[in-house]
Amino acid sequence: MSEPKSAASSQPEYLLELDDIQAGYGRAAMVLRGLTIKVPPSTVVCLVGPNGAGKSTVLKVASGLLTPRSGAIRVNGQDVTGQGPQQMLSSGLAHVLQGHSVFREMSVAENVLLGAYTLRDKALVAERVAFVQELFPIVGERWKQLAGLLSGGQQKQVEFARSLMVSPRVVLLDEPSMGLDPKTTATVFEQVVRMREAGVAVLLVEQNARRALETADIGCVLDLGRVHITGPAPELLADPQLSELYLGGRPAEPSPSAGA
Amino acid sequence: MTGTLLFQSLVLGVLLGGLYALLAAGLTLYFGVMRVVMIAHSAFLILAAYLAWFFNQQTGMDPLLSLVVTVPLFFLVGVGMQRLLITRLRPATLTMMSVLLTFAVALFIEGMIGFVWSGTQRRIQLPYSSASVEFFGAHIAVVKLVAFALAALSLALLYLIMKHSRFGQALRATIQHSEAAQLVGIKTDRVAGFGFGLGLATAAIGGTALSLDATIYPSLHWHWIGPLMAIIVVGGLGSIPGAAIAAMVLGIGQSLLQVPLGTTWAQTIFYVALFVTLMLRPQGFFGGRLAQRF
Repeated sequence: MSEPKSAASSQPEYLLELDDIQAGYGRAAMVLRGLTIKVPPSTVVCLVGPNGAGKSTVLKVASGLLTPRSGAIRVNGQDVTGQGPQQMLSSGLAHVLQGHSVFREMSVAENVLLGAYTLRDKALVAERVAFVQELFPIVGERWKQLAGLLSGGQQKQVEFARSLMVSPRVVLLDEPSMGLDPKTTATVFEQVVRMREAGVAVLLVEQNARRALETADIGCVLDLGRVHITGPAPELLADPQLSELYLGGRPAEPSPSAGA
Repeated sequence: MTGTLLFQSLVLGVLLGGLYALLAAGLTLYFGVMRVVMIAHSAFLILAAYLAWFFNQQTGMDPLLSLVVTVPLFFLVGVGMQRLLITRLRPATLTMMSVLLTFAVALFIEGMIGFVWSGTQRRIQLPYSSASVEFFGAHIAVVKLVAFALAALSLALLYLIMKHSRFGQALRATIQHSEAAQLVGIKTDRVAGFGFGLGLATAAIGGTALSLDATIYPSLHWHWIGPLMAIIVVGGLGSIPGAAIAAMVLGIGQSLLQVPLGTTWAQTIFYVALFVTLMLRPQGFFGGRLAQRF
């Protein structure tokens, strides 16, 4: 990405820290029970685990959609526990939801510009529009069309563009490849790599765990609301027992793109 | 039916349709934003008409001037009502419970009007109350023209707000995907409150327009809520353009039917249209996903 990174001296060790989080919905049982995850800058952290392990809930807590019952959230070293999505956004955190979350009955332009809803500086907005259009050419090509009429992969790219309008430092991606064809999936993971290169920290939840771990630097295996295993992604991929349990049982084979 | 009479009915239908359109737009807005069925919408309409009458009674000035007070007042009441009452309802049963809640609000307003101003029928007398203009052979009361102009202007303003203002964009985003709206930094609670206020503001304007030309009494709102509900279902719940078009068509239909059937039976057009819509196109003519389009 084109924007300059902040000075290395002011860079905290972790861009996003979730510390001993307990969270759940309504009066139902707790989904997260003492979960701790730390995401350093320029790192892709991938959450894997069975359905119902609480992967999406982790992201909702991190972006302020769900307030944790206990525990602490720090973005960029600052305590932001209990803040809503608006404040989380202004501290540099963007969340791309699972499934389709474009504003369907609005144009692509309106969608992308709503990503800059909190920005008042028009010159900056224009700069960001040019930036995301370059990153996702389809966004520029379909600028005037209704977002809901685009294909699934194109909608996903509009959502990425929308979330990148505020130059986030931490991006949360929930199942970005869901429902996409392999080619678009490749594009999506390519974008994840580019975000990392730009110094952004990415927290990724992915059904396609093997594919995600090949892109990620660190993998966290979640089960029953806790992190069971944390380690370098290639190591997790190479572990036959983990493969059996969480990665669909296929034998681990080193991939050329792992850790690239 | 002579040509002149037909034309007169048609023009009156357009004028009536305009007022219906404004009121139905407000009613469908509550549903679009918050899935709230607002039974008390027409009670607020009659309250605004009473306030216009009272203002005229006390000051002798034109009732239209009361809008300066009632529009901001109703907006604030709407915001308060959404923030203090509607948000207390559980999301899972919000639509059903909102019927009960707003039904109670309607009864409360009706009771308060009766308590303060008694059940006596009221009517504003204006210097131009009986004036009319001739329009290609049709005699059109000036007050109806004023009411229509007010409704048309307000609808145009509502459209501009929804389509082009920052608030309107935030409101549409909230309607289409509330979580995604929060994630781009929209305070969806506040926006929903303002949306509710906007709906009540249309009731303030509609009530003032109504007061120019109608005899009002506390229970009058029950005569309005049925046709308005029918209009928004026919138009497609949540669709403002759908509500405006259905209101215009049914308003004209009602006006034309009044000649052969009389006023009581002409009202049935709303329920016939409702029935036919539910049989043929239950989501309404601009319902479902179309409801969110502008």
